[in-house]
Formats: sequence, C-alpha cells, structure tokens
Amino acid sequence: MLFYSYFKTLVGKEVTVELKNDLAITGVLHSVDQYLNIKLTSTRVVDEAKYPHMMSVRNCFIRGSVVRYVHLPPGSVDVEILHDATRREAKGG
Amino acid sequence: MADAPPVQGLAKTPADFLKSIKGKPVIVKLNSGVDYRGVLACLDGYMNIAMEQTEEYVNGQLKNKYGDAFIRGNNVLYISTIKQ
Amino acid sequence: MAEPEPMEEATVREPLDLIRLSLDERIYVKLRGEREIRGRLHAYDQHLNMILGDVEETMTTVEIDDETYEEIIKTQKRTIPFLFVRGDGVILISPPLRS
Repeated sequence: MLFYSYFKTLVGKEVTVELKNDLAITGVLHSVDQYLNIKLTSTRVVDEAKYPHMMSVRNCFIRGSVVRYVHLPPGSVDVEILHDATRREAKGG
Repeated sequence: MADAPPVQGLAKTPADFLKSIKGKPVIVKLNSGVDYRGVLACLDGYMNIAMEQTEEYVNGQLKNKYGDAFIRGNNVLYISTIKQ
Repeated sequence: MAEPEPMEEATVREPLDLIRLSLDERIYVKLRGEREIRGRLHAYDQHLNMILGDVEETMTTVEIDDETYEEIIKTQKRTIPFLFVRGDGVILISPPLRS
C-alpha cells in the first residue's frame, strides 16, 4: 500500500510515465488505484516525432503492469516520510 | 505430517534441499542464461535470493562482482550446489 | 541514563533484509532490457517497487556493423532526480559494501 498511498499524494501534479515499450508520456496525474494503474490528463508524448499517432491523445489510462518508470516531481518527494513509511511497511510484513 | 530432518547432502524434498544449502557455494542460473556464482546467504518463498561474494558470468565470461547481491525470485531458473 | 537508540536489526534472515539495510544508501539495480541504475534508495516494498534519488541510468545496446558484422556495444547514460521503478523489471540489487 506504500506506493499507492504515495501516488495518491501526487494527484494533480505533473509526472512522466515511461512504459515497458519505451513510450514516455507526460501528464497530470488524475488518479491511481491499488494496482498502480494510472490515469493521466493533459498528456503529451515525450518523443512526438517517433509516435505521431499519439499526437491527438489528451487523456489516458495506463495499466500498472506496463509501467517501467515514473519520473517524480522533485518538490513532491519528502525522503524522510518515505524512509519512515518504508520502515513501517517492512515491519508489518 | 512430521518434517523429517534432511539427510546430510541428500535432501528429500525441494524445500529440504533449499534449507540444506544455506551458507554453501552455489550457481544460480537465471532465465536470461546469466549465471551467478557465490555463497548463498538465504532465500524466501518467492525464491528471492541473497548471495555473498557473487560473480556474474555472461556466456561463461566473468562480467561483474558484487559483495552482496539480492536476486528477484521470478528470474531464477535453477540453483545448483558447487562440488568442492 | 539515555536510552540506547533502537538498533536497526542488522542481521540478514531473509533476502529482503539486504534491501532493508540499504535504505538511504546508494544501490546498484540491474533491470530487464539491458538497463542498469545507480541511485539512493528512498522507498521500497515487497514487490521491489522502489523510489530512488540522484539516479544514473545506463542503457546498453548492441548493434552489428553493416560491413564488418562486428558487434558494436553502445551505452547511453542519463540522470533523473527522483524515479519510481516498478519491481517486476528488477533482476538484481546490490547494496553498498557493508563494513
């Protein structure tokens, strides 16, 4: 639940989601669920020249399992909170 | 069902085998074909593995060394003991 | 008399203990798709989902020269301030050497 809780705090912020097929999409995090499925709004594809068919896509739902990385906005990462939450999670099992 | 203690060297079940090889030198082969040689520190039910003094072999060639290494279980093809 | 700091359990009983002891340390992560990452571990869970800081990613590609058919190994590097890494792509994690 750690990352689900963390991603919920990023709702409304801009993130870049990099998929396992190398497509990278930047957008505003609209919502996230327990599987880390992600909905983005105001999206743009990072390499538009390579994926012209994605030009008109403004919103998307991304299945959690196809995500490789999410680039996080530095201002939204409080490392102390993350450390504490991680230690709590490790204890709980 | 009472768990019989594993006979030295000749374990009865896969679980007994895994219990008996902690602290022993092993080769872990991954699905990708990469081999890791080192001392098996411990493992869990997902076959996640902790190894020490690990050497990484790609196509039989030494590519890397790690003091400690955690291997995610889903990548593991087999764990083999090394004859000493 | 000051209470002693609650000691972080420093023994490795299960593989994930290696990761637990690496929190806030720089680790090396080998990923699927010929990718490697070095970064400071800020969070992880049992799937090996992670958040890393000051990340350097190295991507390795092998190309075959059209004329000589020689393998040309190329590496691309990039840095990322904060990165969430999905655990299912993880092959191996190596913590810094423990003293």
